[in-house]
Amino acid sequence: MSDDMLLQATDVCKYYHSGDSDMAALDHVDFQLKKGDFTVLSGRSGSGKTTLLNMIGLLDTPDVGSLDIAGEDVLALSAAKRADFRLQRIGFVFQAYNLIRVLSARENVAYVLQLRGMAKKERLDIADHWLSEVGLKGLEHRRPDQLSGGQQQRVAVARALASQPVLVLADEPTANLDSQHGESLMNLMRDLNERCGMTFLIASHDPVAMAAAKQCVHMEDGNIVSSDIV
Amino acid sequence: MILSLAWRNIARSWQRSLVTVAAVATGLSALIFLWGFNDGVHNTMMRNLQQVIVGSIQIHHTDFFKKPSLSRHMKQTPELMKALSKAQHSGQVKGLSCRLDSFALAAGDDVSEGLVLLGMDTKAEAQTTRIAEKVDQGRFLQADDGAVCVLGATAARNLGVSLGDDVIFLTQDRFGALAADKFKLIGIISSGEMGIDRGLAIVPLDVLQTMLEMQGRYTRVVLQIAPEHLESVTTSLRSSLNHKDYEVLRWYDMYPMMKQWVDLENAFYYIFLGVVLLIVAAGIMNTVLMSMLERVREFGVMMALGCSRRVLAGMVIVESMILGALGVLFGLFVGLTLVAWFHGVGIDLSAQMDTVARFYVDPIVYTEIDANHLWQTAGSVMAAAIVAAFVPIWRVAKLQPVEAIHHV
Ligand SMILES: Nc1ncnc2c1ncn2[C@@H]1O[C@H](COP(=O)(O)OP(=O)(O)OP(=O)(O)O)[C@@H](O)[C@H]1O
Ligand SMILES: [Mg+2]
Repeated sequence: MSDDMLLQATDVCKYYHSGDSDMAALDHVDFQLKKGDFTVLSGRSGSGKTTLLNMIGLLDTPDVGSLDIAGEDVLALSAAKRADFRLQRIGFVFQAYNLIRVLSARENVAYVLQLRGMAKKERLDIADHWLSEVGLKGLEHRRPDQLSGGQQQRVAVARALASQPVLVLADEPTANLDSQHGESLMNLMRDLNERCGMTFLIASHDPVAMAAAKQCVHMEDGNIVSSDIV
Repeated sequence: MILSLAWRNIARSWQRSLVTVAAVATGLSALIFLWGFNDGVHNTMMRNLQQVIVGSIQIHHTDFFKKPSLSRHMKQTPELMKALSKAQHSGQVKGLSCRLDSFALAAGDDVSEGLVLLGMDTKAEAQTTRIAEKVDQGRFLQADDGAVCVLGATAARNLGVSLGDDVIFLTQDRFGALAADKFKLIGIISSGEMGIDRGLAIVPLDVLQTMLEMQGRYTRVVLQIAPEHLESVTTSLRSSLNHKDYEVLRWYDMYPMMKQWVDLENAFYYIFLGVVLLIVAAGIMNTVLMSMLERVREFGVMMALGCSRRVLAGMVIVESMILGALGVLFGLFVGLTLVAWFHGVGIDLSAQMDTVARFYVDPIVYTEIDANHLWQTAGSVMAAAIVAAFVPIWRVAKLQPVEAIHHV
């Protein structure tokens, strides 16, 4: 594995039982990411994007294959170590309802830092910093239900970045946003990628998302069929 | 963090939380009030039994209680005097009186009745029991009274005697010789208790001692003691009195029926408590489970972010505990307020009560609650709240982040 390689997935398979037949959601997938990548995983609904993202995010385990993230054989880790790996190294942005609804925007961002045991003042300062990075200065004390969908997703991005992960995973981050807000969210992430060097992997079939990508990986029926540098 | 998250979740769905807290509080305050009523009736019963005539503790010559006989009497031996003065110096004895009693045949105009002839030291008795208050015609004995007697109302009626009449008592003295004396009826007792009203004649202690050739001798020493000191005083008396010569009996050693009755009724209350606890637990479980199911997705996200199942489970149990604690607090407040209020004003049940079958129960119930019953009840409601969290926690433990995140 070369120095700038961040992630190496080799021969990854995931099977689901549907009825009496086995169905391959991931069918011998090989996949790499380099540090600083901003990759969009595209493909029709059901092609296996979420499944691959869940494997990489250590939320699920492949039936076959190996997975190496930042030089670590993550499939060999125990469940508790994996949770810790997620906490320390990976940031997540989900499609919707990302936020803890009883916490304010800054508390939501600070939450992951708190899980890491960071002191209150420090984590709130960092939260405020990242909220202003995503353009939410002044809205720190709002609760999720007092924010628009686009603003909520920005909070989720701030939260994913606040813990300084090596990899940020986003599953359909723009799906619940109109194209204008989708575009601005994508531009925000791309901008952060370029300014802060964080690696992004985004699953989306939204053309707006693909347009913002540095690299587009296309999936079909559990296979990666093409990979284009945009 | 767990505490603050749990509290905010409760506050967020405050209407649901309020209903739950109110349900817990209502259940607990109802239980406390019922205990208050129950304990009020029972404690009054037990207090009355002790205070009207029986006393808390009686000391007899060994076996006197089972086989009463004048030969089983006590004198003021140094051993007895020492034991009694030690008990009195402990400050736990409210009153102490010596009695002499025997069986006698009372003769009225045409009929005769078998009665207990009881010699009482009027002054000591006034500090020990409330028998004097039960006189409703004439008066009770006084110091320096001569050959006068007080009769139970039923006994007086059966004998056909009224105030001022002479009653002749026929009995045996200590040596087995026949003794008969004439006593003037000066008072009639209506206590509501059958044993007293139909079977008792009270005469001055010194008069009876002379009549029975029992000068300086007694059959019973009666002590009045607060319930909390009963056991310790009993133990201390038993240790200082030789059990070959003396028996030290608590009221419930002598009249076990009432204590058994109280224990039986309490057992019913415990069953009732169990049922209420089930309802409380189901209510809390419902609230916590509902609020948890609403947040499955959020839990999934939290887990994906690296929050452990332990922390989530901790949050769920703390939510339960907060709801339970609030309910218990309000329940204690309302329940104790009710008990305190009815302790003052009383609940008048005279319309519902048959005066004949009173068995030391007063027609007006003043609620009170035993500390044990109070803490047991509040504690078990709190425990029910914690137990109620186990179903939701079990659901949390099974939660898979991938599924939870995609939960709709
Ligand atoms: N838990 C599951 N049980 C059974 N089959 C599943 C499960 N999760 C996913 N699948 C199947 O695996 C395949 C890939 O699903 P996946 O969610 O990865 O698709 P996707 O590319 O993310 O689709 P979308 O764009 O709709 O999100 C689908 O055919 C889906 O039906
Ligand atoms: Mg998907």
